[in-house]
Amino acid sequence: MSDVTLTIDGVQVTVPAGTNIVDAARQAGIAIPVFCYHPRLKPVGMCRMCLVEVGTPKVDPATRQPVLDANGQPVIAMMPKLQTACTTPVSPGMVVKTTTEQVKFAQRGILEFLLTSHPLDCPVCDKGGECPLQNLTMGWGPAVSRFDYNDKVHFEKPVKLGDLIYLDRERCILCGRCVRFQDEIADDPVLGFDHRGRNWMIISKSDPPFASKFSGNTTDICPVGALTSSDFRFKARVWELQSKPVVCTLCPVGCNLTFDMRHDRLMRVMPRENAAVNDIWICDKGRYGHRFIEAPERLTTPLVRRNGTLIPVSWDEALEVVADQLTIIRARHGGQALAGLAGAHLSNEDLYLFQKLLRELGSENIDTGIGGPSALSADVIGGLLAPGPDTDLSKLGAGTVVFVVGADPEEEAPLYMLRLRGIAQRGGKLVVAGLRPTKLDRSATQVVRYRPEGELAFAQGLLKAAIESGAKTALLEQVPGWNEMRRALSQAKLTDLAAACDLTESTLIQLAREFLSAEQSLIVYGWEARSAGSALTELLAALMLLSGKAGKANNGIIALLPGGNSRGAIEMGVRPDAGPGYALRKQRGLDANGIWSAAQSGQVRAIWLAGVDPAASVPAARAALEAAEFVVVQDLFLTASAELADVVLPATSVAEREGTYTNAERRVQRSRQACAPVGEARPDWQIVTAVAHALAMVPIGGGRHGPIPVKAEAWDYIVAGDVADEIAKTVPGYAGITYAALAATGSGGNWGRQFDDAIYYDGTSYTNSEGVGLVLPALAAKAALHLAFTGATTGFADDRPLLLLEQVLAYADQRHLRGSKLQSLVPAGCVALSNDDAAKLNIHSGDRVRLTSASGELVLPARVLADLPAGMVLLPAGLADVEAAAIETGPRTRVSLAKVVMG
Amino acid sequence: MLKELVKGLGTTLRYMFKRPVTVQYPEVKRPVRERFRGRHELKRFANGQERCIGCALCAAACPADAILVVPAENDPANPHSPGERYAAVYEINMLRCIFCGYCEDACPTNAIVLEHQYELSFYDRRASIYTKEMLLVPPDKGHGDPPPILQQINRQPSPPAKIDL
Repeated sequence: MSDVTLTIDGVQVTVPAGTNIVDAARQAGIAIPVFCYHPRLKPVGMCRMCLVEVGTPKVDPATRQPVLDANGQPVIAMMPKLQTACTTPVSPGMVVKTTTEQVKFAQRGILEFLLTSHPLDCPVCDKGGECPLQNLTMGWGPAVSRFDYNDKVHFEKPVKLGDLIYLDRERCILCGRCVRFQDEIADDPVLGFDHRGRNWMIISKSDPPFASKFSGNTTDICPVGALTSSDFRFKARVWELQSKPVVCTLCPVGCNLTFDMRHDRLMRVMPRENAAVNDIWICDKGRYGHRFIEAPERLTTPLVRRNGTLIPVSWDEALEVVADQLTIIRARHGGQALAGLAGAHLSNEDLYLFQKLLRELGSENIDTGIGGPSALSADVIGGLLAPGPDTDLSKLGAGTVVFVVGADPEEEAPLYMLRLRGIAQRGGKLVVAGLRPTKLDRSATQVVRYRPEGELAFAQGLLKAAIESGAKTALLEQVPGWNEMRRALSQAKLTDLAAACDLTESTLIQLAREFLSAEQSLIVYGWEARSAGSALTELLAALMLLSGKAGKANNGIIALLPGGNSRGAIEMGVRPDAGPGYALRKQRGLDANGIWSAAQSGQVRAIWLAGVDPAASVPAARAALEAAEFVVVQDLFLTASAELADVVLPATSVAEREGTYTNAERRVQRSRQACAPVGEARPDWQIVTAVAHALAMVPIGGGRHGPIPVKAEAWDYIVAGDVADEIAKTVPGYAGITYAALAATGSGGNWGRQFDDAIYYDGTSYTNSEGVGLVLPALAAKAALHLAFTGATTGFADDRPLLLLEQVLAYADQRHLRGSKLQSLVPAGCVALSNDDAAKLNIHSGDRVRLTSASGELVLPARVLADLPAGMVLLPAGLADVEAAAIETGPRTRVSLAKVVMG
Repeated sequence: MLKELVKGLGTTLRYMFKRPVTVQYPEVKRPVRERFRGRHELKRFANGQERCIGCALCAAACPADAILVVPAENDPANPHSPGERYAAVYEINMLRCIFCGYCEDACPTNAIVLEHQYELSFYDRRASIYTKEMLLVPPDKGHGDPPPILQQINRQPSPPAKIDL
């Protein structure tokens, strides 16, 4: 786009054409006060605060040439009235005056007008101290109001907009930022205006009110104290807060957060700008779901089981017990009798040391997650074919094609929904393919709905169409299993494949061609796609490799896995088949489900759980933990698994420790310590280190399995950064990922509380001065070495009529909802079915229905969803009142359904 | 020599007939000036509600960082103060306080006032922290009515605008 030069208050500034005057002035270092304008939202010119004098060069109508004065300068024709700077685009030679008497008079008038209905109860208001209205009144407004307080408009003081947000209509200046955010960015148009004149007000149009996963962001961008967070209500004044940079571990996006602390207590969670990850937004889960770190039930001391009860002991005692027991079990039964599971929310440092110790002890039985029937193997494809460095979804637009296959980003990784929606809004192509409708469909440029279990045919069809349109298969030749895949493809006909997934042949060809020819091609897949078996993701990987763009910036596969650091867990080697950096092990260990059955048969004798609670939801795990000789649990709480343990070690939450996390795009980000640990809790990596030291001290020999090979010198980590250094040295791809490198703020950071900026757009977001993280170098070039196409599917012969799909929910994990305002938003357990199926079975919403599968049955209330395709039922995952493990036979289950008749 | 002696004793003699300047502290206490800045008191309104609304502007203004305010939300059925907010914790560390009176200046409701009590001594550093209970005046010692701006709880909305057609 061409540049335009204009003069603002005598300063010449050159900006791209189409820029508005507010942004142009900002580049020149001139502040034009605004309320309604926000750079992430479309300008509307509602508040009139940005009024300026604008003039353009006078043009002679006859010659179409600028009229020049005696000095040869163009004559400027000032517009007769003031213009709103936010809605006026710049033009060449434009002259803008922002400080003339006329402008000042207008701005003072607008402010006085705004204050006629504002209560000015700043001492009570939570926004006080970071309030644009306060700031602009000090800078531009009259110091006193001529309006008597009793004559001002009064509303009932705060009304609740949902459980998270309070609305104080007296304070509202009706700028509409919240309404526009919900409409334009969050795609939850639940807010609106009501009434008119003095009774004009913001209302919530949804039931339950303000039903949005991004509602907290409106409190950030509200320029007054009208929308405030119930979580921070009267907790502290904003100037008393200390801001600590933390990374969110609740989903694989890895949003940059600011923990606002006071006296070592968490007051509120705010977004920290990172253009490439979360921009200036965060979801409500990240904002309100961190209260668990201060829950009173947190473990504070190590516990050891003596005479059947867990009693508090010192760290030394507990570590001695752990080291002795591990040594004895290893001496008697060998290293393979040990097993360890680590949570996917732990940091890279924790995970790396966890697998390092277990492997030193001779065990390969290492996994993340908790097992259960719906457990899936580690997702390698999303790491090997992840987009390369310089990936920034916020810059993608026209020329980009994104395939979202079998994912529900709003629930699995909420911020990705905003990023993907943004790509479509900027002109990119967003193809949303899935078995069922999700909210992303509304933003999609094309929605692909295949029939239940038609996704394999869809992906095969895409791949076949891509090969037929001439894509080079050279990269694929080296991948084991490619020949079988190719054979299957060449045998199938495109028309048959299209028919098998309920699409037309031309749609498949069009999608494949667009994907291959786009400048940037991305594939995003989630739980639904992974649950179809690895065959589907392998086909998508093949498509990505066919395009030849995998691993370039903004090109690749993004896998939405559960857990904030699930990518990191895979790359750190917390999986039974491969060590750090996808290096395959000679001998494959047991995965979570293998550990449960091996523990019951006595092959696995000692189980170490770090931040996972399998006993709560997996019956096999409970049986295994009861059967195991020795169980050690390190966690924040006395979970169901911890209650079965022999030793429980208190771990710290994300706020009490340092660490690095790898997100779904393989961006490594550093989180800092925000507060002191609770009680004697220690970071997980320190616990592992302490156990290693204790093991090295055990005096006895190892019997026929050899002495304990753990050497104290090799476990000489003092701070988390030491572990990070070792990761940088030993894990392929992590070279250069040091704490210093992660602190660079390259692309982020022109937002928020900087000098002269508070009076600008403001909002309450934070500038990122603590590092935006680094994207790891792409592995795509070497992908063929690690990839293997197995073609495994989870489909199987079962003649039950309905396909049961687990539905991943954002608000389900009980751990993170502890003490949180989100608790009331957790849905009640139910099974969702389609209109057609409901009509066929005569089921209405609220009826109790019995689900029967090959492995059991479950009775739940029904919920009829109008937009769900027939032939499938949805079962919410992770809810305490849904015992999914009782009926699931695998990631996908065939079930039959019948209404329970109350007797 | 003698002259100086007589002069000196003369001064003594003269003061023997004047009223004494000193007082028998602590039995007798000298009244302080009206604007003397002694120990703080937290005032109340005439209806017994606390004047303090927990805004923490006093703590922000305090140059010695002597004041700690932890605000909380009023229970509308049983409010501590007018308005939505009150100070759940209000503490002043009298060892830190320099009695400058900035807190008094900053207070939007005239809740904190430096009064005339100046006898502040402690055996223990912890005892120098005056809590809200120690600082608050008794409920019957309130003065003034809450300003309309603070009548926020159970607020009646304005009647709809009347338009004379």
